[in-house]
Amino acid sequence: MPRRAIIVQKINEIHDTFSLRLSLVDGQTFSCKPGQFNMLGIPGMGEAPFSFSSLDLQRGIFVHTIRSAGNVVGALMQLSEGDCIGLRGPYGNGWPLEKAKGKNVILIAGGIGMAPLRPLVYHILRNRQNFRQVYLLYGARTPADLLYKDEMKDWSRDITVLLSADEIDGGGPSGIHEGLVTTLFEYLDIPLWETITFTCGPPIMMKFVSAGLVLDGQNESDIYVSLERRMKCGIGHCGHCQIGPKYVCRDGPVFSLPDIKRFTDSLL
Amino acid sequence: MPGTFVLPTECLFAWTDKLVGAYDLYGPVAAKKNQTIFRKIEKAEDLKLDYDSTMTSPRSLIYPARQDLCTIDRKTHQHKTVTQVRAKKRIIFAIHPCDMHAISILDRTFLGDFKDFYYGELRRETLTVVLNCSKACAQGFCASMGTGPFLQLEQGFDLVLTAKSKNYLVECGSERGKRLVEKASGLRKARRNDLAEKEDIESRAKKTFAKGLETIGLPDLLMRNLDHPVYERTADRRCLGCTNCTMVCPTCYCYNVEDHTELELRTTTRERHWDSCQELNFARVHEGNFRSSRRARLRQFVTHKLATWLEQYGCFGCVGCGRCMTWCPTGIDLTEIAKEIQRDYEAGRAK
Repeated sequence: MPRRAIIVQKINEIHDTFSLRLSLVDGQTFSCKPGQFNMLGIPGMGEAPFSFSSLDLQRGIFVHTIRSAGNVVGALMQLSEGDCIGLRGPYGNGWPLEKAKGKNVILIAGGIGMAPLRPLVYHILRNRQNFRQVYLLYGARTPADLLYKDEMKDWSRDITVLLSADEIDGGGPSGIHEGLVTTLFEYLDIPLWETITFTCGPPIMMKFVSAGLVLDGQNESDIYVSLERRMKCGIGHCGHCQIGPKYVCRDGPVFSLPDIKRFTDSLL
Repeated sequence: MPGTFVLPTECLFAWTDKLVGAYDLYGPVAAKKNQTIFRKIEKAEDLKLDYDSTMTSPRSLIYPARQDLCTIDRKTHQHKTVTQVRAKKRIIFAIHPCDMHAISILDRTFLGDFKDFYYGELRRETLTVVLNCSKACAQGFCASMGTGPFLQLEQGFDLVLTAKSKNYLVECGSERGKRLVEKASGLRKARRNDLAEKEDIESRAKKTFAKGLETIGLPDLLMRNLDHPVYERTADRRCLGCTNCTMVCPTCYCYNVEDHTELELRTTTRERHWDSCQELNFARVHEGNFRSSRRARLRQFVTHKLATWLEQYGCFGCVGCGRCMTWCPTGIDLTEIAKEIQRDYEAGRAK
């Protein structure tokens, strides 16, 4: 049965994407991990899964960054601060942070796929000494589609942030490389066999990202992907998110590449 | 086992009539066009005990095709669980072993790590009386799947009946099942020769199967051959995407959830209904469809039932009832798909 959450703040991120800062009503505490997700619901529109894009759990606040797509999001966009929504969660396994401890880390995001990686960035920044070299490679269609650009200036003090855009009209802002996110691989200056990669983005991006990394010497089992699927329940009952024997909601959404690649429908 | 009894054949209906008063009793009854369906019965003589597979399985009695989950007050966002108040407990009477196995398979989905409240409630307040099959039905291959013709479960059911020459052997699967059968008059304790006769009937029944499927090595074989041409050929030439196979399948559990808002806009009801992996939009997200081709959807059905289900739940998702092929408008037969890949493997044409 859903719990109720209050919209504490609504933030316009870029032209088609906004963030909702939420907290549970009546001061209930909420605990979750980077990489997990909530089912957010609007009466009359139904529920859809959204990953966490930031966590401030001491203050009971968690954030979802949402791109305008679909009916549920259409209804979420109409809401304002102080409005109430239904919430079930957190669900899913989250990023396996323990695997990255003491190693180099590469985070690779495509488009809205930056959202589930952001709480991971903050975790790394807070525990910077636990990780060796850390790269964030982030690509989008155009420079205007890149999320969290202001925050990234701060991030780049402690980790290497590299940005790309598929198309850049008239030169564009400096520091953004033209091309797919894989064109940023040439700037990676670390031994890939001592490196863990976390990636989230469109399936075609993750397919080429993982193929490229393996070609450059990374072990498949050191690559973790976060997947998006249609979901109605979040608890391994409704069947929609199945890939082979895996439920993306219950066994994922984060999978190690060899675990999921062998199933044709994963498109990886 | 809490007990084994013998009930004379002529006493069965008297016992059933007693149960009809105390419970809502659902059993197989004759329907149009020579079909049998499960329906609530008023008197025992309506039962058609010598029946072939029913068109739809009794899964809908425990997992309804459509049901309300909660109501939501649109102003306060308060959610209220919809609970059904039933005056009487229910009995599913004379359910075949394949369908009983199917319910125990659904239990693994809905009563596993995450419990489904609605399923759990109905399952708990429904008693199951199994009737073992003395012969195979036309499309059945339950003997290959280990789910028939006689019940193979140790628990999860209440009673299992075996029709013998002059009486029924009644074996109890639960204490409440035992209390149920003890209401019958003419009951006596079973003796050793009663059990011996049961074994004879079972081995005779096993010999009546025309259809079978070799399941040893099958899951791995199917997963090695996800790109086998049988899927494309069958899907493109024959699959209409009608979803019949998944609607009649007794183990299919997928559902969709929809909200319905009343005209005054005060209350929304959230309901769920059976969904089907054969439906075009089943795996659709905003930017694409992960199974956009009929080939991919047919392969999902076949490999889920005969391969990936094992990794998920430790058993096959197919009980060999034969309904999917019986009610497929073009007669697509998942055993034939599996056998074609098996034949190709033996001939060195598959991985």
